[in-house]
Amino acid sequence: MTTELPEYLQSIRIVDLSMGWAGPLATRQLADMGAEVIKIESCTHFDWFRGWEASQSWIEDNQAEKHPPFLAMNRNKKGVTLDLSTERGRDLLLRLVARSDAVVENFPSTVLPKLNLGYEVFRGVKPEIVMLSMPGFGSTGPWKDYRAYGSTTEQAAGLPHLSGRPEWPPTMVHIALGDAIAGLNGAAALLVALRHLKRTGKGQFVDLSHAECLFPLGAHGIAEQALTASAPPRLGNKSRSYAPHGVYPCEDGWIVIQAQTEEHWTGVKALVGEHLDEFDDPQERLARSDELDELLATWTRGQLADEAMLDLQSNGTPAALVRKSKHLHRDRHFQARGVWDIRDREHIGRIPNAVAPYRIGGRALEIGWPAPTLGKHNEDVLGQFLRIGKRHLETLEHDGVIGQRPRLREAAKG
Amino acid sequence: MGETYGGALEGLRVLDVAGTIAAGYCGKLFADHGAEVVLAEPPEGFPTRHMPPFAPGVSGPEASGMHLYLSTNKRSAVCRSPDELLVLARGASIVIDATVGDDRPLSTTQLAAVSPNALLVSITWFGQDGPYKNFVATDAICQALTSQIDWLGEPNEEPMIPSGYQAQFTAGVTAFVGAMGQVLARELGSASGTDHLDVSIVESNLCFTEIEAIRAYKGLSTRTRIGVNRFRTTYPLGIYPCSDGWLGVTVLTPRQWSGLCQLLGLERLAAMPKYREGAARLRDADEIDRQIAESVRDRSAKELARRGQALGVPLAIVPTMEQLVGVDQYVERGAFGDVRHPDVGTVQLPVTPFRLYGCPAIAGGSVARLGADTEELLELAGVSQ
Repeated sequence: MTTELPEYLQSIRIVDLSMGWAGPLATRQLADMGAEVIKIESCTHFDWFRGWEASQSWIEDNQAEKHPPFLAMNRNKKGVTLDLSTERGRDLLLRLVARSDAVVENFPSTVLPKLNLGYEVFRGVKPEIVMLSMPGFGSTGPWKDYRAYGSTTEQAAGLPHLSGRPEWPPTMVHIALGDAIAGLNGAAALLVALRHLKRTGKGQFVDLSHAECLFPLGAHGIAEQALTASAPPRLGNKSRSYAPHGVYPCEDGWIVIQAQTEEHWTGVKALVGEHLDEFDDPQERLARSDELDELLATWTRGQLADEAMLDLQSNGTPAALVRKSKHLHRDRHFQARGVWDIRDREHIGRIPNAVAPYRIGGRALEIGWPAPTLGKHNEDVLGQFLRIGKRHLETLEHDGVIGQRPRLREAAKG
Repeated sequence: MGETYGGALEGLRVLDVAGTIAAGYCGKLFADHGAEVVLAEPPEGFPTRHMPPFAPGVSGPEASGMHLYLSTNKRSAVCRSPDELLVLARGASIVIDATVGDDRPLSTTQLAAVSPNALLVSITWFGQDGPYKNFVATDAICQALTSQIDWLGEPNEEPMIPSGYQAQFTAGVTAFVGAMGQVLARELGSASGTDHLDVSIVESNLCFTEIEAIRAYKGLSTRTRIGVNRFRTTYPLGIYPCSDGWLGVTVLTPRQWSGLCQLLGLERLAAMPKYREGAARLRDADEIDRQIAESVRDRSAKELARRGQALGVPLAIVPTMEQLVGVDQYVERGAFGDVRHPDVGTVQLPVTPFRLYGCPAIAGGSVARLGADTEELLELAGVSQ
């Protein structure tokens, strides 16, 4: 099923060469607002979020169309295949760029030059093009060619020195933190550059470093170091400022409780009992936080996490159950807000898509269509938009420049 | 703001009445790109002015390092009445609040009367409706409900809360994207009039875990907590002590695995066919970790990262807060800029993380004292103090 995309950015066209998480998340946010995002893959170099262990049986089982990471990042985009290592594929790409506002890429730095592509080439066919380039560490500096995953950039941003217990090594907070954050910032960068383009008629090269996008997440540590010449200590789940502050065991899981104010504390005590009166002094709570944590855990162990959350929240205390991933789509609040827009997708059936995390005038941005199958919009984009004749398209398909099925590469992916 | 600077967002006027980290970061992205951003503060100052860390020897609302970071290139007015707020809102493109429900500092109706095409952006923990809309929250509450916390820590112990304000910074960028989309739509003629952008901090944080919801819905296995710095099925993935600091390692492909083994003198492991797959390496992670740790202990992390990268292995140093501002890569890119405040002095803090070479953001900048611009902003607008 296809729904019309919102009209907000309908006059913007973006050629999306990006793959994986960060780049596709950046362009997804503009597609959600109605921008026309043309996603370029090839039958041999398809988005690695479709899967990175291709084999003949994997292809025959249509696994390239079933991988949740790809499905999550690419809704509302048009899928086009072009083998950019061929002259015809490259020419078609440049014809698309010539009629677009922006190009987005997040390849390692060596890939585009090998294809004789890059900002200067794109500018040659469209002088006012915006190009967003998103390598892990940015396009300049001694690390510009460094390979990075979302974990590498989290590490290099120093963030692991801020979380975890003191006896643990510096501790990461996600398998690929840098990817999602860079994706959000990529959308922000594109929108700023597009506004500049529409006001001045000038395009530009936009250089985004995933690692630098992570610095705000460590701002509390960076600012403390800058102001006091020392970093905040790692305290596990404890806080320097208040107690209780932690994650406590329940009958069926875990609950986060953080009493930051006297009102929050009163809310805890009203449920747990008057025996906590001796902790009414906030300094006492901090000084004896281990003892307090144990008393609180004695209470939480007898509670269901969801019920304890609702009870504490109705008393005005910040509390939340620790949601397991397998229950994420069932949360009552997300369901009531219509967070999951469930759409049918070829080869896999119904899947939940998290709508953009804002409402405009009370309305969610409805999903137009799910992530495209490989080359799904070849006819739409190459045929109708670029006006390539049917026989020409057939020749391109016959010669492997375009197509709708993955093919194994001759050399193994490195 | 520099008198002659015309940034990409010049001509936009943003009024922050929220005083939260999420709103502050959203506003910072506007301010650093040239928009006029005004903080409409209560007499005691915004909540962010009272958040640690604090500058030694500076007192009251000027000491907060968080506020310093969030408030570059913004103006501050102390706003004592709804009428004054209406004056500040005249001609605003965007007003940012942090309010749920109808009792807000400025309604869309009031805003429409003083600025016809403006957008009210509400950045709240749970959004304007739904069963949790009045929940009291923190960053960790959002991270718990979006499953982020469930992945962290040792499997048989309590899960770990990440430090800092990750959930709010994530929402701050998201709100900027949503608001800029509406600004651009208005300038392109594809939207008009006053509207309300309802940004949910918790929903903004689903970007970290939304893939798991698809897996769960389709009955596939989902991510669980398997240990500190352990994430199925990427392995090695971790942080190891070296002679000069810490080394971050990520290995995904067979080629990266053999490259790491070559670098560390662990060819014996590379030769074992079963270790070609991450899942198999992860099963023996404790033993492999021991060998990696032993191999890197007396070597330089900086040198290992450089040599590993030359072999195509994604390695990096893990700089401490002290080391961070001096890292070559960040120095050369100007990733930190001078932030100036009349009482605190000058400190180096991160600049906007993307470089627009055709219309660069302001790197660093000045931070206004509480109410520094009250007289000018309200007097210019014809309100006597």
